[in-house]
Amino acid sequence: MQPTRPTEHSRRNVRFLALPLILAGCIASKSDVTVLQQDIMLVRAEAAQSDSARRQEIQRVMRSMQSLTDSVSAVATRLTRMRTDMQGRFSAIEDDTRRLQEIAGQSQARMQELRAAVESRTSAPPSSASPSAGAPAVVPGPNQLYQLGRDQLLRGSTAAARTAFEDLLARYPESDVAAEAQFYIGETHAAEGNVQEADQAYARVASAYPRSPRAATATYKRAVAAEGARRTREARQLYNEVISKFPRSDEAALARDRLRDLQ
Amino acid sequence: MIGRAIANGIIAVALACVLPQIAGAQQRPEPPRGVRIGLSYGAGVKPGIIVMPVEAVPGDSVRTIIQRDLDFGDRVTVIALDSAALRGLTPSAGRRFNYALFARLGAAAIVRIAPVAGGYRAEVHDVTGKALLQSGVFMVESARLSADWRMEIHGMADEVERWVTGTRGMSRSRVLFVRGSDVWIVDSDGASQRQLTRGALTLSPAWHPNGRTIAYSRYGEAGTRIELHDLETGARRVVRATPEGLNITPAFSPDGQSLAWATAREGGTEIVFASLANLALARRVTVGRGSDNTSPSFSPDGRRIAFMSGRAGQPEVYISDADGTNVQLLTEFTYGGTSYRASPAWSPDGRLIAYQATAGGFQIMILSLRDRAVKQLTSEGVNEDPSWAPDGRHLVFTSSRSGVRQLWVIDTESGRLRQLTHAAGARLSDWSPHLAPSLSSETNAANSPD
Repeated sequence: MQPTRPTEHSRRNVRFLALPLILAGCIASKSDVTVLQQDIMLVRAEAAQSDSARRQEIQRVMRSMQSLTDSVSAVATRLTRMRTDMQGRFSAIEDDTRRLQEIAGQSQARMQELRAAVESRTSAPPSSASPSAGAPAVVPGPNQLYQLGRDQLLRGSTAAARTAFEDLLARYPESDVAAEAQFYIGETHAAEGNVQEADQAYARVASAYPRSPRAATATYKRAVAAEGARRTREARQLYNEVISKFPRSDEAALARDRLRDLQ
Repeated sequence: MIGRAIANGIIAVALACVLPQIAGAQQRPEPPRGVRIGLSYGAGVKPGIIVMPVEAVPGDSVRTIIQRDLDFGDRVTVIALDSAALRGLTPSAGRRFNYALFARLGAAAIVRIAPVAGGYRAEVHDVTGKALLQSGVFMVESARLSADWRMEIHGMADEVERWVTGTRGMSRSRVLFVRGSDVWIVDSDGASQRQLTRGALTLSPAWHPNGRTIAYSRYGEAGTRIELHDLETGARRVVRATPEGLNITPAFSPDGQSLAWATAREGGTEIVFASLANLALARRVTVGRGSDNTSPSFSPDGRRIAFMSGRAGQPEVYISDADGTNVQLLTEFTYGGTSYRASPAWSPDGRLIAYQATAGGFQIMILSLRDRAVKQLTSEGVNEDPSWAPDGRHLVFTSSRSGVRQLWVIDTESGRLRQLTHAAGARLSDWSPHLAPSLSSETNAANSPD
């Protein structure tokens, strides 16, 4: 049993040596904790600083975003206002255009009357007049003939009106009022109830003067007459012709209505 | 003998009273000798007419109506002489008038009316030609002094006017108008005024050419719709083609086959047509592009319409073909101007269009279609909604000149005015065509409206 004594002794020594070590260990841990705490605080401070900077950055970005949104909104408002303004201006321009068209139309009518008046005062003798024929015959001008035809038509003298218009076309086929004269020849036939002759005269307006606004009117009238005579297919074709060739005309608007009713 | 002496004395007194007044008429130059037909008129002088007393009951009423109708016609001057004095100048059977004496009284024509079985015989004597000019028998079937009896006497007066002047008178006609919210009717001379509708707001009455049917805009749960009203039976029917909303200012075509009116569409008001044979289908005839287009009025041949449109900004009067083409601005357009023109009415002879225009308040204008010359007819008060009489010479319109709105009639040639209605608030008048001889049951319908 003797050999156990050194073991106890050695155990005592170990305890003796371990105690300072433990004590030393305890002392080192405390400072470490302090350091650690300092580190943590430092880290926290840094994090807080970082957070603050980030928050500021975010706030800055948000302010920028807000500013940007406000700008976009302002631009949108301005655009809307501009669009409304433009629409208003376009509408005003359209109204002005319409008024100008009315004035132009009225002025044209007046000009027509003035031209007729001037022609009636300055009518020249015909170039083919025989010198031996005595007093030279007076040749009316195109506007004079046109005015004469319109006056006769207004009075209900359709045959006299037609004679004036036909005379105009025979003498002055290139006149500014030739398309009008051809159209009113159709009107004289229509007033007399001669549907077929009216249709032919109107067809001549569209074929001989396709660019004249009267072409739309004449074609539309042909379509209405065809519809009235129950020639529905022909009526549809003529209404469609008005719409395709003169899409912005009043006749096209009326033709669309008629086509809708025919379906 | 004593009676004859008294009669001669009366004649002498009458001549003494009248001769100074007709001195001007006696100084007219003698007409050129030669072959001629009808009466001779001096330039700008209306022929004088003497209507002889009517020897029947109610002769005084007949004579008064005839005299007033001729006077309202504005084509002759009625020389109003006392019946007692004129009775002495009436020739006995088989004898002639003392034309020389009547010529000295200023008469160019003598009208004599005598009762015959079932009516009256009317004669017009040419004083200058010293002969009977024309005569005819007029059957009068209605109860004496009734509204229809008066119409029949008016018809006789119109024929007499035609014999004398060549133009038929307009007294056998009636005028529709609105008072309050109801349609009323009155004879052309202001008599027999009566109410036709009751209850709902009715506007814009218009005559059918047959003088029996009328149309108007009537307010109901579905807005204002167009209704047709038969004056003989009192029957009414709604025009099916009028949609819910606004439907106003109806007008019949002269052939009586179609009806036009203004209907609200797509932000504006357009004029549409419907055949009376198919009132379910209405077709647009104006292209207003959002503007208001109302008040259609047909030309006498039915091939054109005049209407009011705001397509150029302010309302103006336009004319177009009845199919909607060939649109022309009729009234003078002033760029930037604020005045406007509305309520066109095409004259029965087709030469003129009457309308209202702002000229110090609304005034009545007429425009000649031939030369576009405009004539202002009124200047006092506010004057609106002209409508032509069937003679193409007179207009009925609404005027505030008496302080309240009333119907007045103006002679477009002379400007002579007469007041047609006397109770307050009459407006939106429409003058009938010449009414057909047989309208005996119209009164019944008129007296039992709705």
